[in-house]
Amino acid sequence: MYKLSVDDLHKKYGNHEVLKGVSLKAKAGDVISIIGSSGSGKSTFLRCINFLEQPCSGRITVNADEIRTEKDKTGALRVADPKQLQSMRTKLSMVFQHFNLWAHMTVLENIIEAPMHVLGISKDEAVARARKYLAKVGLPQSVEEKYPSHLSGGQQQRVAIARALAMEPEVMLFDEPTSALDPELVGEVLKVMQSLAEEGRTMVVVTHEMGFARNVSNHVMFLHQGRVEEEGHPHEVLVNPKSERLAQFLSGRLK
Amino acid sequence: MIGIFQEYWHAFLWSDGYRLSGVAMTLWLLAASIAFGFCLAVPMSVARVSEKLYIRGPVWFYTYVFRGTPLYIQLLICYTGIYSLQVVRDNVLLDAFFREGINCTILAFALNTCAYTTEIFAGAIRSIPYGEIEAARAYGMSEWRLYRHIIIPSALRRALPYYSNEVILMLHSTTIAFTATVPDILKVARDVNSATYASFSAFGIAAILYACIAFALVWGFRRCELRWLAFLKPMGH
Repeated sequence: MYKLSVDDLHKKYGNHEVLKGVSLKAKAGDVISIIGSSGSGKSTFLRCINFLEQPCSGRITVNADEIRTEKDKTGALRVADPKQLQSMRTKLSMVFQHFNLWAHMTVLENIIEAPMHVLGISKDEAVARARKYLAKVGLPQSVEEKYPSHLSGGQQQRVAIARALAMEPEVMLFDEPTSALDPELVGEVLKVMQSLAEEGRTMVVVTHEMGFARNVSNHVMFLHQGRVEEEGHPHEVLVNPKSERLAQFLSGRLK
Repeated sequence: MIGIFQEYWHAFLWSDGYRLSGVAMTLWLLAASIAFGFCLAVPMSVARVSEKLYIRGPVWFYTYVFRGTPLYIQLLICYTGIYSLQVVRDNVLLDAFFREGINCTILAFALNTCAYTTEIFAGAIRSIPYGEIEAARAYGMSEWRLYRHIIIPSALRRALPYYSNEVILMLHSTTIAFTATVPDILKVARDVNSATYASFSAFGIAAILYACIAFALVWGFRRCELRWLAFLKPMGH
């Protein structure tokens, strides 16, 4: 059984088709890296999975629970039942490129907010969870009372990962989590992500970090112009690319 | 000036609980109009930034009218204009409400400050980075929770410096309340002036009292900013 399955996803901006039928299946413990040059549609694909963007067609199933959709006036898909959308989103925590922490809340408040007010767990339990996951991402308890703007980018992204973990999601979605970081801060975030992968968490990661894709993930998807150009185990796909596009992409990356 | 203050201080400051006068009346005018204005402005600012024209439009029109006309004229319309309408006099409730100058004054002040406050809060809502709203959606918050827990708390904090300005302007605007026979600080100062002909002292005392209230407001808002706006400040070392 798949934790997350996406079937034949299409997405258009006006007349420009950015996704031309992309599918993805993730079993428990899978770490799937989505790579591709900018404009290939990889971020859009990830954002369509939890309906931050509206796809035009396609089916999304989380834990064997298919999301019921309907067409809106513009022809894009929207979720028929807002309750199902909300419950589905709690199972797919997202980590954003620009962290998107709530600036007016302290680190602790950021992490307990959604578990308390969306999942409905008690404050004590939420705080206990927050402390557990802050420790997991390697942050000291002293950051709890700080505001996000008072932390470094790497620390902010680790707080964002702790916020995602506190939802205890089925699948974690990472949208270029290291692209907005200074080069020397990338390592600390990748290390946390690697430790999550080793714990057996199911992750879908849009990334430019080829090292992460090769060493941590067990499946790589290469997107080109809205299609999956090539996919498979990273040791095959990244070492012996079959398509010319991927070979070009990799030669530009790895040097 | 000190002699005149010693003679008339009770009229400026004192209230016997039955008739408010001077400072007490000014503070009551300010507090009542600010409180009503604030409570109305929060939902209206949310409506003001709505994507739907039929929600956004009426609020836009309201703030346009009240920001586009002088407060003095709004007060005159509320006090003398509305009461001159036969419909209002025929209705028992409306008649009772609009006969009292203080009611008309608070109504006009509240509607006026509400219009400005709505625009201030709406601007603050627009200034919230879109990513924060997207994150709230991605974590399964309903629209109601999104506004209740993320957008409104963040916007009110971001609006604080601009809102404190509006409150101080409102304090100074209360000086026109005498038009509707409301006995505020300025009314007392005028009485003192006509009784003693010591214009400089009479209005000087009023000016000092307004300055003291404004100073207290500035100090209070500064405390609030230190507490609630810390997230926008660079970290102190």
